[in-house]
Amino acid sequence: MSRLYDTLEPSVMDKKMLQQAVEEQGPQDQAGQIAKEEGVLYEEVCQLCLNYRNILKIDHLWQFTSLTKLQLDNNIIVKIEGLECLTNLKWLDLSFNNIEVIEGLNSLVLLEDLSLYNNRISVIENMDTLLNLHILSLGNNLFTQLENVIYLRRFKNLRTLNLAGNPICREDHYKIFVAAYLPELVYLDFGLLNEETREQAHGKYQYAIEEMRHNETQERKAIEAKKEQEDQFQLHMDAFVEHLNGPYLFDSMYADDAEAAKLSYLPGVPLVELCMQMFEVGLAQHGRREDELKSFFDCSREAVEENQQRAAQSVADFERARRQVMSEMQQATDPRLLETQLNHCNDEINQLCDSLMTQELQLVDQLEDIIKDFERDILDMVAGFVEVVQGIYPLLPHCRDLENHHHEKLLEIAVATLEQVAKNELEEDMPDDVRMLFVDKDTVINAVSASHDTHLLKIDNREDELVTRVNSWISALIKSIQDKEVKRNRKRIAEIHNYIDYVRDQLSEMRQERWGKNI
Amino acid sequence: MEFDKGVAIDEAKEDGRDELNKDLLKLDEALRKIQITPACSLPEQAQQVDLSQCPTSYKENSPQEKLLLAIAENFRCQYAHIYPDRKPLLLCPLNECGVQKFVSTTLRPTLSPFPELYSWDGCASFVSDFLSLEPLDPPTDPPKHLHSPTWVLQTNRGSCFEFSTLLCSLLLGAGYNAYCVSGYAVKEMCLLNQSLQQCPLLGPLVKVKATKQRQQVKKYSVKPPRDLCSGFEQRQEDRRQAEAQAILLQKQQEEERLREDGERPPPDALLGLRVHCWVLVLADSREVPENFFIDPLSGKSFSTTDKCFLGIESIWNHQNYWVNMQDCRFGCAEMTYDLGDAVKWEYLLYGAAGQSVLTIPDMMMQQEVEDEDEEESRVFEMPPSWVNQIKISQQDMETRCPGGMKVIHYRKAKLEKFAPYLLKDGLVTRLTTYSDLDCTHSSTVKEWYQHRHDHLEERELNKATNVTVEHFRPGRSFALRSHRYIMMTPETERQMDFYSCARADGLVRRVEMPFEMTETFENRPDFLYYRHVVFGKRVKVFSPSNKEAPDRVDRPIQKVVESFHRDQSKPAREDVAERIFLVCEDRIQVTYHLEDDRIIPAWRNFIKPKDSGDSQKPHSFSRQMASTFHVDSFEKPCKNLFLYEMLVHMMKEEETVALRVKDSEKEVRAILAVREQEESSIELHISIYNTARNERARCHREAQERMAQEERLQEQEKELDFLAPFLAQLVDPENLTRQVALKLRSDCLADLKQRLVDKANLMQARFERETQELQQKQQWYQKNQLTMTKEDEDEYLAYCSDAMLRIHVLKLRLSSHKDKAPQKYLSLDERLRRDPRLANHLL
Repeated sequence: MSRLYDTLEPSVMDKKMLQQAVEEQGPQDQAGQIAKEEGVLYEEVCQLCLNYRNILKIDHLWQFTSLTKLQLDNNIIVKIEGLECLTNLKWLDLSFNNIEVIEGLNSLVLLEDLSLYNNRISVIENMDTLLNLHILSLGNNLFTQLENVIYLRRFKNLRTLNLAGNPICREDHYKIFVAAYLPELVYLDFGLLNEETREQAHGKYQYAIEEMRHNETQERKAIEAKKEQEDQFQLHMDAFVEHLNGPYLFDSMYADDAEAAKLSYLPGVPLVELCMQMFEVGLAQHGRREDELKSFFDCSREAVEENQQRAAQSVADFERARRQVMSEMQQATDPRLLETQLNHCNDEINQLCDSLMTQELQLVDQLEDIIKDFERDILDMVAGFVEVVQGIYPLLPHCRDLENHHHEKLLEIAVATLEQVAKNELEEDMPDDVRMLFVDKDTVINAVSASHDTHLLKIDNREDELVTRVNSWISALIKSIQDKEVKRNRKRIAEIHNYIDYVRDQLSEMRQERWGKNI
Repeated sequence: MEFDKGVAIDEAKEDGRDELNKDLLKLDEALRKIQITPACSLPEQAQQVDLSQCPTSYKENSPQEKLLLAIAENFRCQYAHIYPDRKPLLLCPLNECGVQKFVSTTLRPTLSPFPELYSWDGCASFVSDFLSLEPLDPPTDPPKHLHSPTWVLQTNRGSCFEFSTLLCSLLLGAGYNAYCVSGYAVKEMCLLNQSLQQCPLLGPLVKVKATKQRQQVKKYSVKPPRDLCSGFEQRQEDRRQAEAQAILLQKQQEEERLREDGERPPPDALLGLRVHCWVLVLADSREVPENFFIDPLSGKSFSTTDKCFLGIESIWNHQNYWVNMQDCRFGCAEMTYDLGDAVKWEYLLYGAAGQSVLTIPDMMMQQEVEDEDEEESRVFEMPPSWVNQIKISQQDMETRCPGGMKVIHYRKAKLEKFAPYLLKDGLVTRLTTYSDLDCTHSSTVKEWYQHRHDHLEERELNKATNVTVEHFRPGRSFALRSHRYIMMTPETERQMDFYSCARADGLVRRVEMPFEMTETFENRPDFLYYRHVVFGKRVKVFSPSNKEAPDRVDRPIQKVVESFHRDQSKPAREDVAERIFLVCEDRIQVTYHLEDDRIIPAWRNFIKPKDSGDSQKPHSFSRQMASTFHVDSFEKPCKNLFLYEMLVHMMKEEETVALRVKDSEKEVRAILAVREQEESSIELHISIYNTARNERARCHREAQERMAQEERLQEQEKELDFLAPFLAQLVDPENLTRQVALKLRSDCLADLKQRLVDKANLMQARFERETQELQQKQQWYQKNQLTMTKEDEDEYLAYCSDAMLRIHVLKLRLSSHKDKAPQKYLSLDERLRRDPRLANHLL
């Protein structure tokens, strides 16, 4: 096989080549002329064909961001590179090149048709992100491992596959193997996969496939479970009660406290129950807040939509009438009649402007009212929640009481143990480092009270965190609502002004034109 | 000839001449030989039921029945004695054979095989349709005759008593607790005069039920803008309007009352005396929720308190007979139907009632003591019905009305019913409504069709507006659903609805005005839902070539408006909402969909270049040709290239739209042509399951039956074991030796040979006999040729040709037999060789 690139000098993808290609492949005739006058922007080009150009290295394509089809076939490209920016690409043709490794395609997630026909690739790999692939052409390459085809199972949309001319095709069960592992495939190697082959494949590889499918299902299930867990956690976060539905708080109290772990003498834990209660309350409150939010957003959206519809209708009616009148005026000859018509038109415009503005003002008033209501309600609700958390509900103080109680008990026990130690009456076998604690009374008491302090601090921190987060959430929410409303209002006002200005301009243009003609 | 003979006989009697008489007798004899069998019995004769064919139960009374009649007579005597001022009861009328039969035995509970006769309304409408009424004469007395249901079904006629008997028999058979009621009703009901009633098919006029607006008040619903109108003024206005309305309403009511007065018929002199018979269904069987009456003449149900029923004399079912003891001065509204209550219902047969007898034993005891007859009849049960089983044929079910058609007059309406396939155009029902009471000026004509090949189901013609509306079943060409028109010529006012799911273009409706056409679409992939076309006046071209077909010149399109639904896959500013092709002004206006939170859409207006007609030359394009508006002033202006491409695209679209419009016009013309053609030659569709009417299916079935028959014969033949008689002679038929096998074979073949020869001989003998007879006859003929009458000669000639034929056939058979005999012999030999029992030994 003697190919031209052996003798010809490889060319470089430079600006000139690209410019030329763009111009050649762009619009023709009249359109081409217009395009030339205006100049073509590279980022607007959708298709580009660079075949038979002896290109060795892909380069300078980063500007073509909206490209959907790129043909680079029949060159002497060695490495796939420089395609990272072409994220809109749907069709990529790299056939008849000298590529050895599949790489550099990870950012082309929209790719549907990929051709790497007649290259020197030996392994199917590095295409994990190309989940939209429909057509894949890998013929005339150097694939030797039949098992490598299993890699293609991840492409759920793959319907057409070409592997002809590879060493694997010479294997006995090549076709059946592919049909078995890619059950969704319709076309293989230029031909339709018939029912017979499929049945054979099913018979032969049934068990292997079942197993594989089983594994895949389990993986998927695991991922789903994880996702569910994350969702759950997110929900708890939103309700500001994360890590309260279990002994987390309790555990964390002791996590930072090496001493306490040593004094592993714990009372029966009502703390966990309290946490659970708090958690339930938090979730319930969250649900109520969500409902409130939904009802508010629904109502405000309804109001806005209704208003929009009305306004749009009146504008549409006006616009239709205006076009009619404008075309009439074009033909009118009597200057006096024209003048009255113009004046009438002007009045109409003012009227429309007034009515639109009134409607908008009405809407603003209405929305302001309900936003105020909503603010008041949601603030009440949050305040209630915080109160529940802080005091009225005897949770955290209770926690503190519990902790204090626990502390006293611990102290007693510690002192008792100390005495025992002092008297050397201790029967139990204590670890050495614990024994070290009980050398003298101060050490013991210090250790115990330090642990107590840490615990209290933990509880307080948790409480503070909850309250701050609730407050920041509420203020952010209210601010966003207000901002949105202001933005909407500005947009609408600008829209109305814009339109009125345009209509007035048109009218005055017409007036000038007609006057000019009449004079 | 018949006439001649008659005259001749008369003459013979007068003259008394013997010779002539003899001759005549001979002639008579000869004539009698020539028999003419009637080709088919005339339909009128079929209607007449042969009384002689009635079974004996119709003509005689069994001993039990005689006893029953005696009891009834006794009952009647006592009744007449105790209540001399009450009308005589209908107990034992004469049947069609003139025999007295008790009314209860005339009921014959029968369950018919037709599913529609399983419900009471099906039965009632069948009876009312199937029979035609013979009014009672005089109308104030019960009839003397009561014919059996079978007779009534055959003659298609009956009095109200016979109607009720038939209906009650069907209902009892279907499991209803039904009774015949003899009583009094209003004139309209007795005479089946429905001209005062509203036609049930017309239905209530006001049916539009305003769906209640369910406005759920949400917590954050916006308050409506402040109303700046005066509440006081509003109230005043309301009051004024209410007053005006009240006056109007009063006036209307007044008018209504007047009109009703005018319509009311003159009072009936015989009110309350007219005898009627209807059916009562009691509520306990077949999930009937409450008692109700059925008028068998109209087939409608009434509540037991209906004003039309004025009184009840007696009721009966197939088991017993009850006389009403309740006061009927105020109609039947107050009546109760607890038949076990002997105070209210006097029964004829004790114990047969079966209803709540046990609940009032005291009463029973009293009754027993009072009446010895009752005591006797304690063991007496109602004898079985003397009537044969009621048979309703499929034909009867289809024809329904006598002669297949029936006309009912309603108030301001006339309803005509026809049996399916009776009329050539498939008409089944026609309802004509009139604008006046005398039914002279028809206002609308509504027709229902069945089995039409063009799928027409309903046609309504409004005489006032001259608008015709036709409705079609699915499955027509062009998926036409309904067609509303004044004239069948194209380009006039019309509306066509389509089954859009069956059409590739999703067309739902096309409305045409003389110069406009509006099309509505559904579920199109390009989101088009509306297209409105305005046509200009046709330009008259005075050239000879166009004279023949002026319609072929299309009207120029002036304006096309197309609207699209929102395509969610595109951004709103690129998604076209409406495009207007102003063809006559060379302009194109494109409006886009609204973006979120916008009230003013973006639009582009194009002016077509003047040289656009020349497709070879590129269009010259300038910036002025396109004007764009976008509410967002920061929007980047479009490139000229884009605008140019869009303009080109739009111009192409304009052409395709024009083609579409032409296609639509063509389609309208095609539909009209097809409709006209279909109307001119109406075909009825016959289902392949309709074996009675489907000629092809019948032929097919018959052919199949014949084939099956033949196959069966062949099978039999095949199964005939030709070795059996020979094997039977052997001692041990299971184990054959070679010798025995050979012997068997030769025996078998010899036997066949013998048979063939015998058969040939038989044929030969017959042939000879026939020939001989013919010869003899010929000789006889030649001898007597001169003295023979014409008839004898004819007979002779007929015999000759017949004999010749027989001889010829015999000859043919013989020769073919001779031809086939060797073949048969060979084939038997072959079969013997192949026979599994002999094969081993013979090969």
